[in-house]
Amino acid sequence: MELNWSTFVLEIVNFLVLVWILARFLYKPVLNAIEERKASIDNTLTASEHARVDAEALRRQYEERVEDWEREKETARSQLVEELAAERARSMEALRAQLDQERERARVVEERRVREAIQRAEETAIAQGGQFAARLLSRLAGPELEAHIVDLLLADLQELSEDRLQAIRTGVAGEAAPLKVTSAFPLTSRQREALVGAIGKLAGREVACEFLEDTRLLAGVRISAGPWLLCADLHGELGFFAEAARRGQ
Amino acid sequence: MGQTGHAGGPLFHIGPVGVTQAIVTTWGIMLVLALACWLGTRRLRLDPGPAQVVLEGALTSIDGAIRAVLPTQSQRVLPFIGTLWVYIVVANLSGLIPGVEAPTADLSVTSALAILVFLSVHWFGIRAEGVRAYLRHYLDPSPIMLPFHILSEITRTLTLAVRLFGNIMSLEMAALLVLLVGGLLVPIPLLLLHIVEALIQAYIFGMLALVYIAGAIQAQQLKRQKEKE
Repeated sequence: MELNWSTFVLEIVNFLVLVWILARFLYKPVLNAIEERKASIDNTLTASEHARVDAEALRRQYEERVEDWEREKETARSQLVEELAAERARSMEALRAQLDQERERARVVEERRVREAIQRAEETAIAQGGQFAARLLSRLAGPELEAHIVDLLLADLQELSEDRLQAIRTGVAGEAAPLKVTSAFPLTSRQREALVGAIGKLAGREVACEFLEDTRLLAGVRISAGPWLLCADLHGELGFFAEAARRGQ
Repeated sequence: MGQTGHAGGPLFHIGPVGVTQAIVTTWGIMLVLALACWLGTRRLRLDPGPAQVVLEGALTSIDGAIRAVLPTQSQRVLPFIGTLWVYIVVANLSGLIPGVEAPTADLSVTSALAILVFLSVHWFGIRAEGVRAYLRHYLDPSPIMLPFHILSEITRTLTLAVRLFGNIMSLEMAALLVLLVGGLLVPIPLLLLHIVEALIQAYIFGMLALVYIAGAIQAQQLKRQKEKE
């Protein structure tokens, strides 16, 4: 355990050389690498901080934009709601007017339909009444009834007004052919003479008459001279009735 | 296992200077460390590989330990303290290699390291405070304390050298005795203890050196702070 001075001195030199070697080849490069990494990390952190600040600014900008969009959306939505309400009101008004027109048109059509139905019912009733009366009178018709009608005709001819008499005279005067006297049943000679006399008296001259028979008249006579026609038969009267009833509507 | 020639003579001479086994081993350690550092730091990258991670981790740990004691001037003392730790660890562990004697089992080597620590304390203290301010702390708190300060400087240097030498030498001696008495594999637990002891002794030596240097640098600073307060 004695001290070797050469070893002592060489060890000091060796250690100082080792300090230089390690400082040159270990501490300096490794510490530099660590510093570079720290600088790189600091740069990265700074860049990330900048990025974070930028992102924050972008986020605020985005939020403001979103808020603007929300406001615009709300405004547009309220405007749209108002426009829709106005459009709905206009549409409802137009629809209501159209409905009123349709209702009025339907009412008119219905009234017309009802009126036509009533008219058809009345015409049917008149026709049925005429048929019923014709059927009833056809059963009641006979020479007696016809004689009675001829008597009534002769009486009525006596009581005609001056205007009617003048019309008969005008109609008979221009007719050279014999007058046609149609009856449902054969007329008696007395009836024929009475009719010829009455007509001659009305015409103011002698007239010739041709006597015909037509069962469709049911009973009575029908006198015609050209366009002039004098009906005193049940068939004609029923037709007059129906026509008068139709006109009376 | 190294030889027991702790007081052995020189292996050869370079001129008048005798070169002992410890010096040769130290050169070998220097060569290995230099080669390892050169290879390890050839291609340092920002994205480190496994070897770079180990290097950076070791150096960061050393730097962290120094900063814990001396926060303001760690860069200045890092080469000296770091080299002490690295060299003593490797030197202590080199004794595990058969045929190699640990340099730290030689009192001349540990004394040289202790003297370097002694000188570095004054060197760093004078650089930090200046000669006058540094020497003044030997008179604090009273000039009467000057002999005690000087005695303290001598004894702590001496204890540094003897502690490291004694621990390493005794471990190797114990392992040799167990090997001689017990057989080939019997000293293995003792060799494991050697590893732990090697790390602990390196840490203690480096940490004490750091504390001494920090005391020299910060003695006047603390005094000024107290005066300001």
